Amino acid sequence: MITVKHLRKSYNETPVLHDVNAEINPGEVISIIGPSGTGKSTFLRCLNLLERPDAGEILVDGVNILDPRTDVPKLRMKMGMVFQQFNLFPHLTVLENIMLAPCSLRKEPQLRARERALELLKAVGLVDKANALPEELSGGQQQRVAIARTLAMKPEIVLFDEPTSALDPTMVNEVLTVIRNLAKTGITMMIVTHEMRFARDVSSRVFYMDEGVIYEAGSPQEIFEDPKRPRTRAFIRRMDMLCFELDRSDFDLYHFRSEVDEFAVRQMLEQKKRNAIQLVLEELIVNLLFSRVVKAQLEVGISGETGETEIRAVWTGNPENPLEAEDDAGSMARMILKKRCSREEFVRENEGSILTLKLFGGKQ
Amino acid sequence: MNLAVTKNDDGTVLTVAIEGSIDTVTAPRLEAELNPLYDGVRELILDFAAVDYVSSAGLRVIMSADQRMSEAGRLVLKNVCEDVREVFEMTGFDELLTIE
Repeated sequence: MITVKHLRKSYNETPVLHDVNAEINPGEVISIIGPSGTGKSTFLRCLNLLERPDAGEILVDGVNILDPRTDVPKLRMKMGMVFQQFNLFPHLTVLENIMLAPCSLRKEPQLRARERALELLKAVGLVDKANALPEELSGGQQQRVAIARTLAMKPEIVLFDEPTSALDPTMVNEVLTVIRNLAKTGITMMIVTHEMRFARDVSSRVFYMDEGVIYEAGSPQEIFEDPKRPRTRAFIRRMDMLCFELDRSDFDLYHFRSEVDEFAVRQMLEQKKRNAIQLVLEELIVNLLFSRVVKAQLEVGISGETGETEIRAVWTGNPENPLEAEDDAGSMARMILKKRCSREEFVRENEGSILTLKLFGGKQ
Repeated sequence: MNLAVTKNDDGTVLTVAIEGSIDTVTAPRLEAELNPLYDGVRELILDFAAVDYVSSAGLRVIMSADQRMSEAGRLVLKNVCEDVREVFEMTGFDELLTIE
């Protein structure tokens, strides 16, 4: 239904989407989750051309919609969008808001549009508000009307851009219930959301977006219960991250340690655990990384809730797995890591090496 | 790291009290402090009461001190805190060293 290839988008030379690739099949309900500022909404807005991508392809039913000859209004009829702000016309009644686009764009007869609008209002539980003005409705009710208005155009796919973010928490559920019911009808949906439980329950697939790409995609079970990649794990497990660009030529162990320690104190980690982290990091950096490469990226993620800690080192150049090497210099470091970490994992990916260590979680 | 060195009266038992961390940065300094002290010493006591952190760099220096002392006497580690003791245990050094 939709194929996205190498999508890129920058704002004022700041890249937001680096290289987004995705396949969306008919009937799928896809939740897009991830930290703020990672391009989730931009991705959605690119799909119906509210934002013009800088490069890449978006194929809808085989047609590249970035082709200048694309009939954009026709495309938007296929693809409805529900926004964070409900954007109802304040001077029109609920019913008129829903009938407006079908009558003016699809040239539907008034009577049929009215019948359909009432049906949709019934579906979102607001038929008794048909003649109310938007200002007479709560935020949650306005968003339910906005959903009905989108459905009135009979779209093939509905894009939801954080549909509950602007709502008072007490109104979130009524809107999620409407979207949940809609998901059961088989319509294709993509939902940018911060509501994790909802995403887990309602989706057929979940995209975790980070660093301007779909960093990990999978079933709700895969993403929420067994995320494979470190940033997904950090996000799902609510870890705070501290990142370093390590360079052997100017590495200052004490400065590094004080930064890590301050960070760990902020996560309320006790001294014993902080010492364990420092030990693992020193062994990893000095004896396993700097004996192989000059530069590496390092991330330290700590969950403030559980204290679970994840350390991730990424480097290019030396493809050897330092956990399985046999050099004398690293032998004690390996012993210490083995005892201190509940999980050690090494993978090679796109010419790079990724070493992930986990402390204070899992089997430990 | 501060290194406090105390030598006892008879000149054969040397007690070295160490304070702070023994890590990649400080281990070479500890080694340099210990090197001139071995001659004539029958028992070298490293007092770890104020040591809160030891990494493998520190273990190497301690192991090297133990080897040097084994020729003419012995090395004893005293007052090792739990965290540091765990590092000795992880690496099997607790079985090689005399820890009191």
